[in-house]
Parts: sequence; structure tokens; C-alpha cells
Amino acid sequence: MSTVIKAHGFTNESLEWSAWLDIVELASASAEQLAVLEESHPKAKTSDYYRLLVHQAKILRERSTAFNAIMYAPGGLPRAERELGATVTSRINGCVYCASVHAQRFEQLAKRSDTVVQVFEDPLTAGTSNRERAIAAFSVALTRAPDAIDSNEIAKLKAQGLSDLEVLDLIHSVAIFAWANRLMLNLGEPVFPS
Amino acid sequence: MSQVNSDLIDRLAGLTPADTSYAIRQQRGKVALATQGSYDAIFEPSLADLSLAERLLVALYVCQLTPAAELAAHYRDQLLAAPVFGALNPQVAAMVRGGEALSADAVTEQRLHAILHFARVLIENPIDGDKRLLHSLPAAGLTTAAIVALAQLIAFLSYQTRLLAGLRAMKQLAAQSDVAAVGGAECTP
Repeated sequence: MSTVIKAHGFTNESLEWSAWLDIVELASASAEQLAVLEESHPKAKTSDYYRLLVHQAKILRERSTAFNAIMYAPGGLPRAERELGATVTSRINGCVYCASVHAQRFEQLAKRSDTVVQVFEDPLTAGTSNRERAIAAFSVALTRAPDAIDSNEIAKLKAQGLSDLEVLDLIHSVAIFAWANRLMLNLGEPVFPS
Repeated sequence: MSQVNSDLIDRLAGLTPADTSYAIRQQRGKVALATQGSYDAIFEPSLADLSLAERLLVALYVCQLTPAAELAAHYRDQLLAAPVFGALNPQVAAMVRGGEALSADAVTEQRLHAILHFARVLIENPIDGDKRLLHSLPAAGLTTAAIVALAQLIAFLSYQTRLLAGLRAMKQLAAQSDVAAVGGAECTP
């Protein structure tokens, strides 16, 4: 297990998540709800998060498809850099749960945690290379003020060697965490290890 | 099947098969389909417990707050054209018809006020959306299924506005590069 990092209320420790509303009981779930849980995540049936969202099964099905395609599709932006976009977005939005999960994924994929320390400390200046700094800065900008994003922001990414497909993958990663953070932050709360 | 006409993001970003960014987006076709699929599921007229008028109103408000002008115009048009528009609270319907900026504080009806206030917090400062805020929704008469639909709607709009902003910027840069390439060719002896 990697070194524990804690800063400004953020952590790379494994957290649980607890819903603030009633979750769907598996015994009373419809066949469609059970099918969507199975498609969404290997542990969805024991997760408060998925069992709350499956109150609207059709919406969850589409969201899970989008999420999995964005974060796991082959080619394009290296997966560690998609996790960097996700972690920076979660840090800016204040989502401690998502930041913890995706900091750990970054560490697993990149086999280092130096960038995570920087993101937790100050996401505005984070990055161990010019390329990482450009990815982090873009993630901050798109999260905070989407209406201010223009061709200059894209040009800065391309100047650091990102291809068009890599730029799109980063936009998708930041955007899907604008979505995920609001569910995790506003429908329940992280549970810290005792 | 005509992807150009049926995909809302392509339409609002002005992406056609002639654009480089269109072809790039097609390389992530599964994401494009699930994005449109999410939109269709969230605005499904028959979805229980949260009316289509309420959902379109939240969408308009969120896009005004973000701001995301093209999407705000899209949702206002959808709301004005919807058969459910007549069922909307008259005070709010007048604001929409007049093209005014919506305000949660100006809405007096308890259910609609709670819905719009929740939307504003999640858009402007999601970290402030605590348990007490969430529980203001069942107190205003929303079921858990309605609240999950509402949260998914607001969160989806946060995604949709950023995806559209990113794609428009990509298209803008590609257009500048095309101009530069043509200019370069003319200067070459």
C-alpha cells in the first residue's frame, strides 16, 4: 500500500460512502434495476451510491456507460492522465471521496504519488512536468469557468504534445467528474477509516 | 441514421462530418451515444415524480447560472414548446416567457423554490450542498425517485455544459489552423 497523503481535508486513503436517502433494497428491486447494477460496477450491489442512483435505473445505465467509456477506453490520453484530470476536478469541487479514489488510481497507473501530493496541496500549480501542469491547469479552467474556455486553452494543451483525441479524452474526463462530484457531494458523505 | 441531426451536442457545437473535431468525437462514439442517451433518459416525458416542466425549468436555470448561452436558449425553446408549459406555476411561466433571468429566491411556491435553490447550490458551490439542503427536498414533497432524477439532471448539465464548451474551443482552434494552413500554402513558392 502506498504512503498515506493528507492535505486540506483530502486523503488518498480508501473511504466508504454513505447515502443520505433511502437506497433500493435488493429483495424488492426490479429485474431492470438488478441488471443495471450488474452492468454499472462489480461492487454496485453492495454500494450505497449505486443503490441510491438505481431509483432511476435508465439514467444510471446511460451514466455508467458514459463513465466507463471515458475512463477505460483504450488509446488516446494515457489512463493515468485521465485520472489526473479527474483528481484535479474533484479537488477543485471539494469532493473528498472522488479525489481519494482517483488519486489512488493515478498512483496505481503512474506508479508514483508526487503529483497527487501537489494536487492536494495546490491544484492550480500542480504537475511534475510541463505536460502535467498543462493538463492540471486546463482541468481547473474547465471546471471553474466553462464559458471562458476558448481555442487558446486547447492550443496550450497541443503545445505540450497532446493530440486531438487526447484533448477530447481530457475534456470528457473533467466533464464526467463535474457530474460525478455533484452526486457524491450532494447525495451522501464519505466515511473515513476508524 | 443521421447522427448530425439527432445529436444535440454536435448540433449546438456546429459539428458536421466536414469538421476534424466531428471525426475525433466519432472515435469516442460510445461516449457520444451515452451522452445523448443520458439526455434522452433525463428528459423522458413519462419519467415519474419530477414533471418535464420542472426538469426543463431546472435546465434553463442551471444554464443561465453556469452560464451556457446556447444551452440556455435550447432549454427555453424546449420549455416554451412543451405541452406541459401551461401547467407551470404562472409566476415562473411569466419569467420564462419574458426571457428574464430566473431566480430561486423570487419563486414563492415551496416545491419549486426548494428545487431551484438546490440547483443553484449544486452549480455555484457544490461543497455547500449538505444533508440539510438535501432533506429540504422531501420536506417540500419530493420522493426519493424525484430527488435522484433532479440530482442526476443537475449533475448531467454540469457535464453537458463543459463538454460543449470544450468541443466548441476545439472546433475554433481547428478553424484557425485551417486558415493558417491555407495562408501558408499561398506563401509557398
